[in-house]
Amino acid sequence: MQDTQKPSVSSTADLQREVAELIIEGLNLEVTADQIDPDAPLYGEGLGLDSIDILEAALVISKRYGLQLRTDSADNQHIFSSLRSLSDYIASQRTL
Amino acid sequence: MTPDPTTSHNAWAQTPERSNMLMLRVMTWISLHLGRRAARSVVHLIAAYFLLFAPASRRASSLYLGRALGRPANWRDLYRHFFIFAATIHDRVYLVNRRFNLFEFEVHGEEALQRLLADGKGLFLMGAHLGSFEVIRAIGRKQTDLRVSMLMHEDNAKKINAMLAAINPEAVQDIIGLGHIDSMLKVRERLDDGCVVGMLADRTPGNDTLYPVQFLGADARLPVGPFRMAALLRRPVVFMTGLYLGGNRYAIHFEPLADFSDVARGQRDAAVEAAITRYAALLDHYCRKAPYNWFNFFDFWQHVPATTPLQP
Repeated sequence: MQDTQKPSVSSTADLQREVAELIIEGLNLEVTADQIDPDAPLYGEGLGLDSIDILEAALVISKRYGLQLRTDSADNQHIFSSLRSLSDYIASQRTL
Repeated sequence: MTPDPTTSHNAWAQTPERSNMLMLRVMTWISLHLGRRAARSVVHLIAAYFLLFAPASRRASSLYLGRALGRPANWRDLYRHFFIFAATIHDRVYLVNRRFNLFEFEVHGEEALQRLLADGKGLFLMGAHLGSFEVIRAIGRKQTDLRVSMLMHEDNAKKINAMLAAINPEAVQDIIGLGHIDSMLKVRERLDDGCVVGMLADRTPGNDTLYPVQFLGADARLPVGPFRMAALLRRPVVFMTGLYLGGNRYAIHFEPLADFSDVARGQRDAAVEAAITRYAALLDHYCRKAPYNWFNFFDFWQHVPATTPLQP
């Protein structure tokens, strides 16, 4: 089966901001939502999150939007590549 | 001055794993062709070789032993340290080949481990470069539902998988490589399946935050990452070490270390710090109990000048 979970919905600026604020609050980051470039990488250089940070973000996001992030169901590399792609994924998969 | 937290990673990345792998490669061949008793004489030669030709490791051993023994280490101590290191690596060959009948294992604290495993939510098993973690296979032999996934740096995972395949192709181990965006999601999936996730929590491969502890009477720093992960995933942590006692005897110890199952978010950092402090105390305890089982052949304290002189 082909992976059909690639988001087809684009996120709004409002959702991106909300996701940014969730991550900032969840991880105690010393930046504001405005300072996060929606297209900059979240992992490694860019926002500088490590894989444990990504886990923490994933836990917060799963809970808030009622979606499951799994290693076998989606292209996590793509989803977490930037705030925009993460927000697009949430917009397409959210149940809450 | 604050020491650069990355120096220790560079130091260990260059020396111990490399010699570790080289020794394992040589020993596998000898052990499978000559048997344990004959191979042991080669283990002595290897220990002597490292003692003579690895001065950096020798200095690190001397510094460590001085603290663990409470007296300056002499040549006999250093030799014993290198020999026990080589001997436990050698025994991995037999453990991986499931030759458990060659050994006597005394097991302490297995009831506590079983009790924590009973709810099927998995747990973290945190070891150190102290004794042999491979002896977990001897526990797994009786306990067929004990499934262990090892979490480790990707480079080491590749080398270890290659070696395991060479030693015994059926002994493949489930390894989760660190350094992927979804490494931690994999860890969570294994735990959700009721697996044990094992790791050696005394070294860090990346630029992990370090937390100050007391270890053998001096200031040291330990990585925060392993415990932070356990806290986020709300799982119990059990300490494990397999101490080599000489001859064919190992003592396997399990000690409940922390339980993050019910830790509230606001108390998480304090709980993580308490867990690291307890981990350091357990390392301290078992290093004094079995001093020659510590296999970090670099200056674990690094920012403390090496004052223990090498004995003639």
